[in-house]
Amino acid sequence: MPELAAASTEPRDIDGWLAALRGVGYHAPRALATAVFLAMRLQRPLLLEGEPGVGKTELAKALARVLQRPLLRLQCYDGMEQREALYEWNHTAQLLHMRAAQNSATPEQIEREVYQERYLIRRPLLQALQTPPPGAVLLIDEVDRADEPFEAFLLEYLGEYQVSIPELGTIAAMAPPLTLLTSNRTRDLNDAVKRRCLYQWLDHPDRERELAIVRSQVPQASAALTEQIARFVERLRAQPFANAFQRAPGIAESVEWAKALVALDTLVLDPEVIQDTAGILFKQREDVAALLPMIDQLLEPDVA
Amino acid sequence: MQLGDARSGKLPDQITAFGRALRRAGVPVDSARIAGAISATQLVGLERRDDLQAALAAVLVSRPQDIEVFGELFAAFFRNPELEKQLLSQMLPKAPTAQPPARKARAQEALTVAGASAQRRAPGESELRLDAAMTASDLRRLRHADFAGLSASEFRLVETLARDIALPLPELPGRRQRPGPRGHRIHWGRALQQARRHEGELLAPPRRERRHQPLPLLVLVDVSGSMERYARLLLAFLHQATRGVPRSAFAFGTRLTDLRAAWKQADADAMLALANAAIADFAGGTRLGASLAELRERHARCLVGRRTMVLLISDGLDTGAPEQLDAELHWLRRHCRQVLWLNPLLRYAGYQPLAQGASVLHRHAHGMLAVHNLEHLQQLAQALAELLKS
Repeated sequence: MPELAAASTEPRDIDGWLAALRGVGYHAPRALATAVFLAMRLQRPLLLEGEPGVGKTELAKALARVLQRPLLRLQCYDGMEQREALYEWNHTAQLLHMRAAQNSATPEQIEREVYQERYLIRRPLLQALQTPPPGAVLLIDEVDRADEPFEAFLLEYLGEYQVSIPELGTIAAMAPPLTLLTSNRTRDLNDAVKRRCLYQWLDHPDRERELAIVRSQVPQASAALTEQIARFVERLRAQPFANAFQRAPGIAESVEWAKALVALDTLVLDPEVIQDTAGILFKQREDVAALLPMIDQLLEPDVA
Repeated sequence: MQLGDARSGKLPDQITAFGRALRRAGVPVDSARIAGAISATQLVGLERRDDLQAALAAVLVSRPQDIEVFGELFAAFFRNPELEKQLLSQMLPKAPTAQPPARKARAQEALTVAGASAQRRAPGESELRLDAAMTASDLRRLRHADFAGLSASEFRLVETLARDIALPLPELPGRRQRPGPRGHRIHWGRALQQARRHEGELLAPPRRERRHQPLPLLVLVDVSGSMERYARLLLAFLHQATRGVPRSAFAFGTRLTDLRAAWKQADADAMLALANAAIADFAGGTRLGASLAELRERHARCLVGRRTMVLLISDGLDTGAPEQLDAELHWLRRHCRQVLWLNPLLRYAGYQPLAQGASVLHRHAHGMLAVHNLEHLQQLAQALAELLKS
């Protein structure tokens, strides 16, 4: 049933996905489109890992636009618990109800009334399960920031698309939400979580893809400037330069940089403007310092 | 030829064999994943090789470190379905162009088991290979630690000490909460359940307190020449004494060795055997700065949110550049909770950390403890406990 409802917006094959994602401004490599296609068809969650700024979160936004489904986002953090992720009872309302009904109802009646759905505060996971077909796109962002007990709590959801609430019973998905998990690998995720998911490692894009992304995100930049940006950033990430930095800039940084250069009315990259805007590419003092002596080398035209 | 196979129903067998080969190469693949891979193949089809590879990778791989081995095995499996023939041609010296034999040892081994019969048919070659392997391992043995398994008495000693001398590993109130009397917040769910029983009166609302969690521990053990005598029992003891604490362990000499896989073993002997195989610079020099740089570049995620306790066990006789050591320690200090330095070289009371490496370490470490004689494990254990308490 959900398949029928979604048929109008869901691309039918890998090429369709590539085109549809490009249509909303996300230039996916083919392997990623394949993983998305499989995640939709097999109804499995998709785990995205990769360096910060390679477009993990953006993919979820793009998918929500392609599928025209609501995007629900659960940002994970250390110590996150069920009541922030799944549901919480509205205790204040329950208490008020209890007080009001104290004189007119029996304790059993009160108890029945107090644990009703209207006293339930729905958090993203529950919202995703209760979104009517075609379902939602659920982004569980930076799972690695939550702790291990939280992963264990996710297992039931990821495997069966259902959750158990003691007072209400099991709540199954009306339509399986397309679920994306992202991780920056600040720690390894549990194997039990991983085996329930499809896995995709996102790498920094090659020059062509970077060029396409910057072009579509910052259309105001001139073609020559865009090309220079793509080449400069690609070289930064490649040997022998990459070793000098603690963290190479991601796509998000190159797009930001392109925007900044446009704002500064730059037509051609030169050492001075790079020096002035290095803080957009690198967020560590040591990295900015390491960049300065290399700028001339990085700006040299291609040898090949 | 592959297409023909697929239509006559051989594809599931092939995928299963591929999955099993991956498992032999150390990629965690279970039967559920293989089943998933088969249905993924049916969905994607076999028209494009790169699609098939991406689809299988999405289902079968779940760690970045497996991507490379997957690629190599995929290339081997789906290039030439007659695996045995290919393996055979690879082993024959006259056909070196069949495929660059630069595969990972793991992938090669996984393939070799699959084609064991092929190996048997080429006895001449296998003799040669064996020969080469022996030379290599002889060479390596010179450099490897000679960690014997623990003798029965040593084992008892390690066990007893780990049990008796409880290392006071520090704990912090975490963000998670549990019902408890000392908390500041009211446990509303439980309060309401109680109120239900008392006609809606909140008599003594139960509270939630913060749950305590142990701080993650990062153990860096010097295995250079000057620390040779201590390394083995030290590793065994720390491995046993820090059970149940989130921990990672590295050995360093001239380079950094990741011991986390070894430390996952519950058994001390198994841990020592794995550590033995992993450490290739035993009893060599010390380049602490370079080792710490490697830690920063490749394993920085062991340092969890500035909570990690770093336990550095070294004599501080560093042969690397003091500037590098200084910079790396400065970085380490900023990314962990405490750097504790246990120095076994301090054999007399008037010791001053004058050696270059030692003075740098002394400046950066939050705590330092001198131990006069580390040979007795008991003293070591007590010293550690003392250091952690300070």
